[in-house]
Amino acid sequence: MDLLQHVINGLLQGCILALVGLGFSLVWGILNIINLAHAAFIMLGAYLTYFLWAKVGLDPFISLPLAMLALFVAGFLLQKYIINLVMRASVLTTFLLTYGIEALLVNLALRFFSADTRQSRPFYANASLTVGGLHLPYTQLGAVAVALAVTVLLALLLDRTNTGRSIRAVGQDQVAARLMGIDLGHTYAFTFGLGAALAAAAGALLSATSGFSPASFGVFNVLAFSIVVLGGLGSIPGALLGGLIFGLVYEFGGTYALSQRDVVIFAILILVLVMRPTGLLGKEG
Amino acid sequence: MALYVDRRQLLLAGMAGLLTPAIAAACGGAATTPAPVGGTPGGFDGTLLFGAPLSLTGSTAKEGGLTRDGYELWKETYNAAGGIRAGSKRYRIETKYYDDESNAQKSATLAEKLINEDKVNFLLGPYGTSATLQVSTVAEKNKIPMIEGNGAAESIFEQGYQYTFGVLSPARNYLRGVIDLALAQNPKPATVAILSADDPFSVEVADAAKQYAESKGLQVVYYQKYPNASTDLRAPVTEAKAKSPDLFLNSGHFQESVAIMQQAKELGFNAKGFGFSVGPSLPDFESTLKEAANYVFGGTQWTPALKYNGDDLFKTPENYNTVYTKRFGYEPSYQSAESTACGVAYVKAIEKAGTIEPKAVRDAIAKLDFMSFYGQIKFDSRGINIYKPMAVEQWQSGKKVTVWPPEAANGKPIWPTPPWDKR
Repeated sequence: MDLLQHVINGLLQGCILALVGLGFSLVWGILNIINLAHAAFIMLGAYLTYFLWAKVGLDPFISLPLAMLALFVAGFLLQKYIINLVMRASVLTTFLLTYGIEALLVNLALRFFSADTRQSRPFYANASLTVGGLHLPYTQLGAVAVALAVTVLLALLLDRTNTGRSIRAVGQDQVAARLMGIDLGHTYAFTFGLGAALAAAAGALLSATSGFSPASFGVFNVLAFSIVVLGGLGSIPGALLGGLIFGLVYEFGGTYALSQRDVVIFAILILVLVMRPTGLLGKEG
Repeated sequence: MALYVDRRQLLLAGMAGLLTPAIAAACGGAATTPAPVGGTPGGFDGTLLFGAPLSLTGSTAKEGGLTRDGYELWKETYNAAGGIRAGSKRYRIETKYYDDESNAQKSATLAEKLINEDKVNFLLGPYGTSATLQVSTVAEKNKIPMIEGNGAAESIFEQGYQYTFGVLSPARNYLRGVIDLALAQNPKPATVAILSADDPFSVEVADAAKQYAESKGLQVVYYQKYPNASTDLRAPVTEAKAKSPDLFLNSGHFQESVAIMQQAKELGFNAKGFGFSVGPSLPDFESTLKEAANYVFGGTQWTPALKYNGDDLFKTPENYNTVYTKRFGYEPSYQSAESTACGVAYVKAIEKAGTIEPKAVRDAIAKLDFMSFYGQIKFDSRGINIYKPMAVEQWQSGKKVTVWPPEAANGKPIWPTPPWDKR
């Protein structure tokens, strides 16, 4: 029974981690940007949701699409007017730029939101559905539903719409995509906006499931990176699988070797890079 | 194409501009009180500068802020009463703080800066054991005394250093009060589960609690460490639940204490008593957890309910509480009181030394023995105050009640904790 509870804890948390990895994977896979501001976007999503709950009384799950929209617009503009200007420079340049954005946003958050621990606490917070002795917190159940729904919607968007096809085309061959009349700058911006919106969704869910402060999001850059490497770059099922695996690793590491769970994560990372550099579900090349 | 390159260069320049404030912020903007403007107003013969690196941002920003407020109240109260007298001279107290971002290494660098660039006369402690440990080395090297009130690990005082003094009770006592209290209750607990953050201070507290519990005949059924500043502790809480302990103890920090109680509720984990080293003493514990805060015990260095009669300007815990609340608009927790106590100890020592020469002041600190609003202040040969007892508080119907030791308490403990569905 306890083992089962651990597995459930891990999978519930893993779904949110999958969402964290998804946006990171998209931006890295299509734009070749290792977006170090990803954790800051998650943070902004969490604070937006928190303030909408604390000041207006809006339920976190209703604020979630609003946070996604806000971060989509912010991400779109950021890419279009700032990051697009250095898209042709080496990877290190965008790496540094996004690192700077991350540091700026986190320190602004510290300045204006303070380092206090916050949490969106709707009336059902910390209450659980009890099934045969197993406890399933309502907020985490909701988070799983949202994470899966968003993943499916993203897959449909990329697969079925013209915008999605342009995004994939740009990811495959920029020159050819441009020759086919795709506006590169616009597609970059749209993709980056999507990545930011996915980060916002993860942030909104995190704000309801556990406490957070500006300093508590840095770990998600490392996790997102690890999830993408494990699952396979640019792969949606890969991000989902990677997220679930790391959810379980965190849970069981947290039970039996807690202080050293990051060791487990990096050990997995090294193993994957050595044995299967494309990740579990990544494609060759 | 040329246009593109130009824009790129423009952007690189812009990026440098964009990064600068972030880096400046990351490197710790100076947070300081205004420097005295010329001369020495108010009939003072000079100023004494006290410096401290403080965690004003980062994971212990809350506690760092409380530490600063404690120092500030000391400064304001004593300056209003004529400052510090050393021999025939009167000195005004000035303070200077830098933000160490809850980063212990940075704390040491900032202490060097305070000593070598700002030329502080004396150091006040940073917040937390790791930072205090780092700064103690800097104080020793420069032979500048440091009185600190927020680093309780005995590792700080076992380095053989001469210049670091702690006014607070050492780490090994943190959870002792809760264990003693639990053993005095009916039904008497037989088993205990201990969760600890993995920083040196928390581990020292947890190890001491484990040892003490075992020496008192309690069986430790679960002992686990987790990464400092975790907010998701469902895994160890699930595991603790599986062992169904009578007493649950945590040695960690505020945000972890909140996470543990929330997730204990989610996962339906209930012990006869929940005890924390840090967390419940802060008012935010109740405002965040609401009714889930009830019945929780917290070890504490000091509470406003304690019955001390001090030989200082604040006199009693009750009066300190009044003055502090009037000044800052919220009630003081022990982090503030022990920080104020550092300043009070400096005043006593400097007045006794009759000079501001660091070595003489250091010797006077080592010989201090007086009763303050914070309790007895006296240092053993290592420099830690082993003479002041720890108290225990419990949240009861949204109010903090001091329940231990019985002779200083203003209420009785509620035991055992009722199950979650009967609250």
